[in-house]
Amino acid sequence: MAQHSRSGIPLKPVYTPEDVVNLDYQRQLNDPGEFPFTRGRQRERRGGWIQRQLSGEGDPSRSNQQLKYLLEKGQTGIDVIGDSPTQACMDPDHPLAVNTVGTQGVSLCCLNDYRELYKDIPLGAISISSSVPAAFALPGLYIVAKENGFPPDKLRGSVLQAPFYAEDCGYAMWMPFRLRLRLSSDAIAFCARETPKFHSFVEDTYFFSEAGLNAVEEMALGFVELRHVVLDVLNRGVDIDSFAPRIAILVNCGVDFFEEIAKIRATRRLFARMMKEEFGAKDPRSWAVVITSHTSGLSLTAQQPVNNIVRGTLQAMALVLAGVDALEISAFDEAYRTPSPESHLVALRTQQVIHLESNVAKVADPLGGSYYVEALTDEMEKLIWDMTMEIEAKGTPAELSDSGWFRTFFEERMDRYYSQISSGELPKVGVSVHIVPDNEDNLLRDVVELKIQPCWAHVEHIKEFKRNRDRNRIESVLRNVYEKAETEDENLIYPIMVAMESGASMGEIAGVLRMAYGFPYDPHGLMESPL
Amino acid sequence: MRRVRVLIGILGLDQHEVGAVAVSRMLRDAGMEVIYTGRFNTPEMIIKTSIQEDVDLIGLSCHSWEYLYFVPELMELLAEKKVDIPVVLGGSVITPGDRVNLTKQGVAAAFCPSSTDHEIVEAIKALAAGSG
Repeated sequence: MAQHSRSGIPLKPVYTPEDVVNLDYQRQLNDPGEFPFTRGRQRERRGGWIQRQLSGEGDPSRSNQQLKYLLEKGQTGIDVIGDSPTQACMDPDHPLAVNTVGTQGVSLCCLNDYRELYKDIPLGAISISSSVPAAFALPGLYIVAKENGFPPDKLRGSVLQAPFYAEDCGYAMWMPFRLRLRLSSDAIAFCARETPKFHSFVEDTYFFSEAGLNAVEEMALGFVELRHVVLDVLNRGVDIDSFAPRIAILVNCGVDFFEEIAKIRATRRLFARMMKEEFGAKDPRSWAVVITSHTSGLSLTAQQPVNNIVRGTLQAMALVLAGVDALEISAFDEAYRTPSPESHLVALRTQQVIHLESNVAKVADPLGGSYYVEALTDEMEKLIWDMTMEIEAKGTPAELSDSGWFRTFFEERMDRYYSQISSGELPKVGVSVHIVPDNEDNLLRDVVELKIQPCWAHVEHIKEFKRNRDRNRIESVLRNVYEKAETEDENLIYPIMVAMESGASMGEIAGVLRMAYGFPYDPHGLMESPL
Repeated sequence: MRRVRVLIGILGLDQHEVGAVAVSRMLRDAGMEVIYTGRFNTPEMIIKTSIQEDVDLIGLSCHSWEYLYFVPELMELLAEKKVDIPVVLGGSVITPGDRVNLTKQGVAAAFCPSSTDHEIVEAIKALAAGSG
């Protein structure tokens, strides 16, 4: 029977020199640190990679404790994700939000929250990443850094940009396409000027690929988004070399070991050629994309959760062999909850064992030259690019978003993923094969099944904070955001920053932005506009 | 005979959708009609759609703990409005222990990750036949 990779690439029983007969070393591979960067961004893997674990739970002060716990255990960067309301640009006091405040991430809606989150965190010394909506996370971090004496132009870290697919799968913000794109481009332009060392544009292919996409689809949709955002930023007159060195791609890592490695190598090559040849970037740093990564949460199972430690290790190993710049392992209790201290630590320790004990990261691109890996890298490159062009030929991202094309695409992939598992085409240990009865499936249950309560105290705290503000001041800064949003050539990050400094909340600011674009202040019709 | 009609939806801000899409496919393959309401529903919205669409059963996909608070509200509202449609839950965050509590609250059935397709389809058929 013919064997296939997860993306449907036919696999031979063995690969030989025949499979790489046309391989031109200088043109397609070259040494690590040289164009087209297939073999990695840098010649040497100094210090390995940034080791961090996705964090955020409860109110900002609880998350601050969580960050300190991980840093104390040897984490070398931080990455924070908001709870569902935060990711959706809603305040914790929204009636639809109260039951999930702080349970799937940290609640962050105003500047004070950011102050508490980053309290006593060495902002100048480590990489500060954030998976919170960038238009709010950036001003939050910027102001807190300034207040604590860290010059923002020295800040290192990153923020995610997720303008296209968020409404269709993942964290919907109920904003029109044009507004989402603008907020991304504004954030990137803001960073090019104010925080030049900060990665303002992380193309997040992780979150949407968790809808069950394969590796080719993940990167094709990623390139569609990345290319469109780059063009939009260029259209504002921002120089390509002022922001391209600060682009990163956050990739997923599923279960197909070699295909994931080939995907990352192919992505670096495609990116380098695109930046140099298509967008005319001159700075070599603009050609070499930073790859950051999460191991797949979707690949983990609620059954026999201890097996997830093995899945995370395998995926992390693939990512390290592919030479990623930063890595996060989805924790073993992912199917149930945000990471417990126990699962966080196991994931971090997994990274440390790979880094310090296995020696796999001592040499750059250790798989370079493998007949199989090089053949697969070429094939992935071709498939990713063909699909990118195919989607672009169907219409602009705005058209595909508005017409529901993306939505249908995601629904079909979710459906396919289920069919593949249920038919046994995609074997899942503990789910479709090697199943054990519930009463025998006990290991680590006490950890994974422990529930955390919504942070109702924080909801009350935010309500009180809002009551005690100067209403006229809030109204005036929100009106300013609204008016600036009506003019296309204003960078919205500046008025958002002023509004946050004056005590306006993310929900309020997002609401008036929606209004300026002809959308309702609150998509659920449960909150009243202050304007 | 009329085909079994099932509403499939997700409550609150739970954004995980793969499970709901999978169950919809499973029930359609078993010959049922699925009214898919997707994400971002309140108990009120679920009940309204269930009545409008005249469904035999309400199926809710739960991948965040919000359901712990929304389900009691839904059950109360159903009782208040005297709507007699069985409610079935399923999802990764539902443990065998939760199952017992949910049944006490009047939920007709709750499925854990270990439940098989066959188990789910048969239970829904039986419940829908009873509610007709």
